[in-house]
Amino acid sequence: MKKGMIKATDAFERVVHWSLALSCILLFVTGLGMMFHSFNFIGNVMGGLRSLKYVHNFGGLVFAVSLVLAVRMWWHEAGKFEMPEDLEWMKAAGGYLWHVDNMPEVGKYNPGQKAFFLAVAVFGAVMVFTGLLMWFQPLSPGLLILMYPLHALGFVVLFAFFFVHLYLGTVGSPGSAPAMFSGWVTRAWAKKQHPKWLRETEESGSLEVYGEEKKEAHSAH
Amino acid sequence: MAEKIKLYDDSKCTACRGCQLACKQWNGLKAKQTKNLGTYQNPPTLQANTYMIIRFQDVEDDKGNVKWLFRKDACMHCTDAACVQACPTSALRYNKEFRIVGKDLDRCIGCKNCVAACPFEVPKYDHETDKVYKCDMCESRIVNNMIPACVKACPTGALQWGDKDVMMKAAAKRVKELGGDANIYGDKVVGGTHLMYVLKEKPSVYAGLNQNPHVPYSVLLWKNLLKPLSLLAAGGVIGGSFLHYIIHGPKTPDEDGQGSQAEGGK
Repeated sequence: MKKGMIKATDAFERVVHWSLALSCILLFVTGLGMMFHSFNFIGNVMGGLRSLKYVHNFGGLVFAVSLVLAVRMWWHEAGKFEMPEDLEWMKAAGGYLWHVDNMPEVGKYNPGQKAFFLAVAVFGAVMVFTGLLMWFQPLSPGLLILMYPLHALGFVVLFAFFFVHLYLGTVGSPGSAPAMFSGWVTRAWAKKQHPKWLRETEESGSLEVYGEEKKEAHSAH
Repeated sequence: MAEKIKLYDDSKCTACRGCQLACKQWNGLKAKQTKNLGTYQNPPTLQANTYMIIRFQDVEDDKGNVKWLFRKDACMHCTDAACVQACPTSALRYNKEFRIVGKDLDRCIGCKNCVAACPFEVPKYDHETDKVYKCDMCESRIVNNMIPACVKACPTGALQWGDKDVMMKAAAKRVKELGGDANIYGDKVVGGTHLMYVLKEKPSVYAGLNQNPHVPYSVLLWKNLLKPLSLLAAGGVIGGSFLHYIIHGPKTPDEDGQGSQAEGGK
């Protein structure tokens, strides 16, 4: 680790993130194997379509637990929009699509990330809820059949959002991916992506910089 | 070979249940201990090991006379079958020759999608084998030029198996003979069923008979809209991301900017 790197995430956050991400990808792949006959071959890898079903169902339980942990962990920072700066950011599409002067300063999470978090929280819950009902079928036929399009709708949203997340977490925003691997990011990246967070944590002394003693807080919380 | 249907005429049915037994025998379905619930209808509903039952029903006519109504309850073999659309593994599929809904039990993974989708509540799930069962119109028999086991067993001609056009004509003739409320059930729904009824009463008189069966709108929404949309949306995002990368470019930190000028930046 280079001196001066900044700690963006702790180990627990990264473990929960990858537990959620990997179970989600597994569910995408196994789900596709059941949704499209042309993807039935995915079942072969897992020893048949019946095994695929079990991998999907029990993978869903891992996803459910990860989701609960993720929502509890990130709700405080990513679950609330702050007006009016988040609205301004949204209107400018975060500066991702056209040139914008004077972008509102972004804190720990930008509104796009918050929207992604909320989409995963809401539709992830929909997937767990409808998935369990489809698995155990405790409902009357008229209600039960509604769970299938809901499950498919959740897939449409999460599958599309997944690729947005993948792009902006890697090549679309260089320097971001290390936040979810080592947890350490460059100061330049933090300055560019989350300047308000960098400034505030630096002022309060909660910022962890590699090779430096944690500074005393300027003011008590 | 032509499309064939099975025609059940309840006015000719004596509820001897020979068909029910023949079904069990041909399909090798073991009987289970059942309870006497005060009716000859036994078991009370279709089960994983009972692909068809004769339903018994008491109805009162205008004069207060009680009469018996019988109905053969089994897979209707829809032309437009919700179960086939919902099945992820093609375990349920159409027989190309006869248009009935056949099943490949080896492919069934017990997901129960068909149980939820069927407008007639026909497919039944078995916990022990983790598979779903239903009538397959004795597919193994009909592809070998034999008639379904239930039809073979019927002593009164209440069950017939034959070319669709021939059966339809016979049904129309029978409805005319019976007069009154007699009607054909199954020809106008779900693209036409392959188990069709000649009923002596209006369909609404028969307990548990769906008046307006159709592929559930949920299944249509799921399979015809959301399913293709899932790939389209993801494809759009991937394409959009690529365009963003080559047109607008990634959001790169200013490595030489003031960011690295701040303390501890090296």
